[in-house]
Amino acid sequence: MQDPEPLFRMEGISKRYGGVRALEQAELTLREGRIHALLGENGAGKSTLIKIMAGVVAPDQGNMLLDGRPVSFPSPAAASEAGVVCVFQELSLIPELSVADNIMIFNPPTRYGLIDRRAQRRVAEEALASAGAGDIHPLALVKDLPLSRRQMVEIAKALARKPRILILDEATSALTAADVTKVFQVLKRLRSEGLALLYISHRMNEIAELADDCTVFRNGSKVASYPAGSKSDEEVIEMMIGREYHSVYPPKPDAVKDVKPVLEARNLSWGDRLHDISFSLKPGEIVGLGGLDGQGQRELLLSLFGVLRDLRGSILIDGKPVRIDSPGAARSHDIGMALIPEDRKTEGLMLPMTVRENLSFAALDQLAPSGIIDGKKEQGLIDGMMTLLSIKAGNLDVAVGTLSGGNQQKVVIAKWLMRNPRIVLLNDPTRGIDVGTKQEIYQLLRRLAQQGAAILFYSTDYAELIGCCDKVLVLYDGAVKRELVGAEITEHALLASALNISEAPKPLQGRAL
Amino acid sequence: MSDTATVRMTDRMPAFIRRLDRAVLIAFACIILLLVLGSLYSSSFLSPEYLLQQLKVASFLGVIATGMMLVILLGQIDLSVPWVVSTGAMMACAAAAYGDIGVALAIPFGILCGVAIGILNGLGVAYLRIPSMIMTLATNAVAQGAMVVYTGGFSPQDSATLTMRYLATGALIPGLPNVVIIWALVGAGMVFVLTRTSFGRCVYGIGNRERAAYLSGINTRRIVMIAFAVSGGLSALGGILLAGYASKAAQSMGDAYLLPAIAAVVLGGTSIVGGRGSYLGTIAGVILITLLQSILSVMQMPEAGRQIIYGLVIISMLLLYGRNPASR
Repeated sequence: MQDPEPLFRMEGISKRYGGVRALEQAELTLREGRIHALLGENGAGKSTLIKIMAGVVAPDQGNMLLDGRPVSFPSPAAASEAGVVCVFQELSLIPELSVADNIMIFNPPTRYGLIDRRAQRRVAEEALASAGAGDIHPLALVKDLPLSRRQMVEIAKALARKPRILILDEATSALTAADVTKVFQVLKRLRSEGLALLYISHRMNEIAELADDCTVFRNGSKVASYPAGSKSDEEVIEMMIGREYHSVYPPKPDAVKDVKPVLEARNLSWGDRLHDISFSLKPGEIVGLGGLDGQGQRELLLSLFGVLRDLRGSILIDGKPVRIDSPGAARSHDIGMALIPEDRKTEGLMLPMTVRENLSFAALDQLAPSGIIDGKKEQGLIDGMMTLLSIKAGNLDVAVGTLSGGNQQKVVIAKWLMRNPRIVLLNDPTRGIDVGTKQEIYQLLRRLAQQGAAILFYSTDYAELIGCCDKVLVLYDGAVKRELVGAEITEHALLASALNISEAPKPLQGRAL
Repeated sequence: MSDTATVRMTDRMPAFIRRLDRAVLIAFACIILLLVLGSLYSSSFLSPEYLLQQLKVASFLGVIATGMMLVILLGQIDLSVPWVVSTGAMMACAAAAYGDIGVALAIPFGILCGVAIGILNGLGVAYLRIPSMIMTLATNAVAQGAMVVYTGGFSPQDSATLTMRYLATGALIPGLPNVVIIWALVGAGMVFVLTRTSFGRCVYGIGNRERAAYLSGINTRRIVMIAFAVSGGLSALGGILLAGYASKAAQSMGDAYLLPAIAAVVLGGTSIVGGRGSYLGTIAGVILITLLQSILSVMQMPEAGRQIIYGLVIISMLLLYGRNPASR
């Protein structure tokens, strides 16, 4: 295992963004034919490290050695040329182009100077097949694919560039359980073909299944490297968060007794995406939305929040029918609804604006009843939220885009908590977030429920639904397939109803952190 | 808890220092450079009379650019400026022909006409989702047509009211032209709106990410419409002041204000795609553009050469701003 010459080595890498230290004397060694897992909380510097490897970001100092020779990558194209290819956490596909166009976008095959469509389609098909996504049609438009399929295209796109080192950054966080198994088979095959893989995930069971070596990062530096399996999960998590790690999920209280529901949905239908959905939400209750990705969960949340037009069916608040035709109506005092959207970067935040401006954005009508912002009141509320959610920001006047992913997500949640909402809708709020922050969010949700809020919580992670929810609605093809209450919420039951079958298969996607 | 301590410290720094960005500094540096170059040509460029005269000329552009800035911050653009300026001027002068009440209401009526066109722009952009470039170009053509019909294609005979002339040429405070005071008031109002009101926050929010603003419960369409209405009103006010300056309205009096208004806003560091920019920058941009025009004409550059240099300077300034250190 200790062969003299590793394929790739980084030493003494440092990078600062403004005053924020992202990496400090970081190091990493990758070897051929091995899967190397990179672990750490969000903000630990993992993303910056791989951006440097992939030529997206230039390091302030430090060396990179490929085959023992120093290299530097001025651009992603240069890194790709050298065989370092990254599947990024943020999807990099162009929605208006076809799958084949996207896969071959860097180097389309040409004939007489024009793109050779037939050759392009053939290469794209090969790439899709080798990524285990042969079911995706190469001529389909990317915008028509659900998120999980897009992620598979993203992997195929990376493979089409014939990498020697393949970096996967949270590549499975958007995938369905079935896709995850396929991707794992692909990754194991690539390993046997001699590639070096760098794998970043927050799911411990995935790492246990895949990794040969592990490296843990914390605060921009390497904490330890060790062969996979030589440390227990608890030890690893302690290294990651630097503190002791207890139960992830807060205890569930007894079921909510006879209280009137605050929100009731009756026969909600929208186009061919939602069919006759009825349910009720009581104060103090956390209700989960389960099911495979893209079965109408997002549409359901958006419809409740007044975003979708031509919605059929009725919504009752405190037993009275209401018309919610915009987010502005949904957040109004009588309804008191909040939606934590799916994509914090495009839907939740204005990244270039300051933390302060983002935090108070959804509560401006309350901070400025006359139109003029009450600076003192704003500061007070913001201080409260910064403490409540322990948001780590050097300064309230830095762009929110400079914060780590977990802290950005906290800002999205905080901006809505400022309104003291009675009904909180969350659309996969823990996607791509580190363990520590996830845990804080779970506890926050439970605390909000205890204070009387009603919470509707969509998650792609079954473990979260099991750990957090009092009740889970499993959606399939835009309809509620099954309602699981209390002890019925098990991985087995969730998966079985998600796949719309009566007998459950072997669980594919195990516990995540 | 040292984190919160540092937060407090920076909070105390005055907002205008924190917000000063490169573009604003470059614009002010260019103003000084222009003055120095001008003074090499003729020492009168540094005389107080000349500078005050330039400030006065700049004020007309300043009022118009204020509205333009609001629209650009939203990530939109208002190309209806030329004929809204003319419409405001002509309608104010036309109202003056209707006796004492007409004279008294001339200015509000002119502004109202501009606001009406702005609302039309806003309806098209916000509610019908027509790209602002097309929508405002179309209303510009409509306003032009309407004014040609009204005047019969000639310069209108009605002349500006005394109030209009006083506002444009008089000096309530001796030595300080009224029009400069008007720009100062309009500018102060805009600074207040942009920094202290929820409307201002929403403008920046929409300019950065309209979807996020909408999902935060903001009535984004209303904000967009108000911004266009304000832009129309300020263009019309600019036209009214210009009419007062020249004593009457003229057919194409607004044509010379479209590019300078956009250029002033963008040279002042406001992002053309919206969401970022400060009013201080727009002030710098307006003064810079005015000085540039003045110096080129004092140097007796022929009109064609002036246009070429003017355009080249704008392009090179924008290139200069593009040289921000790459975020790699």
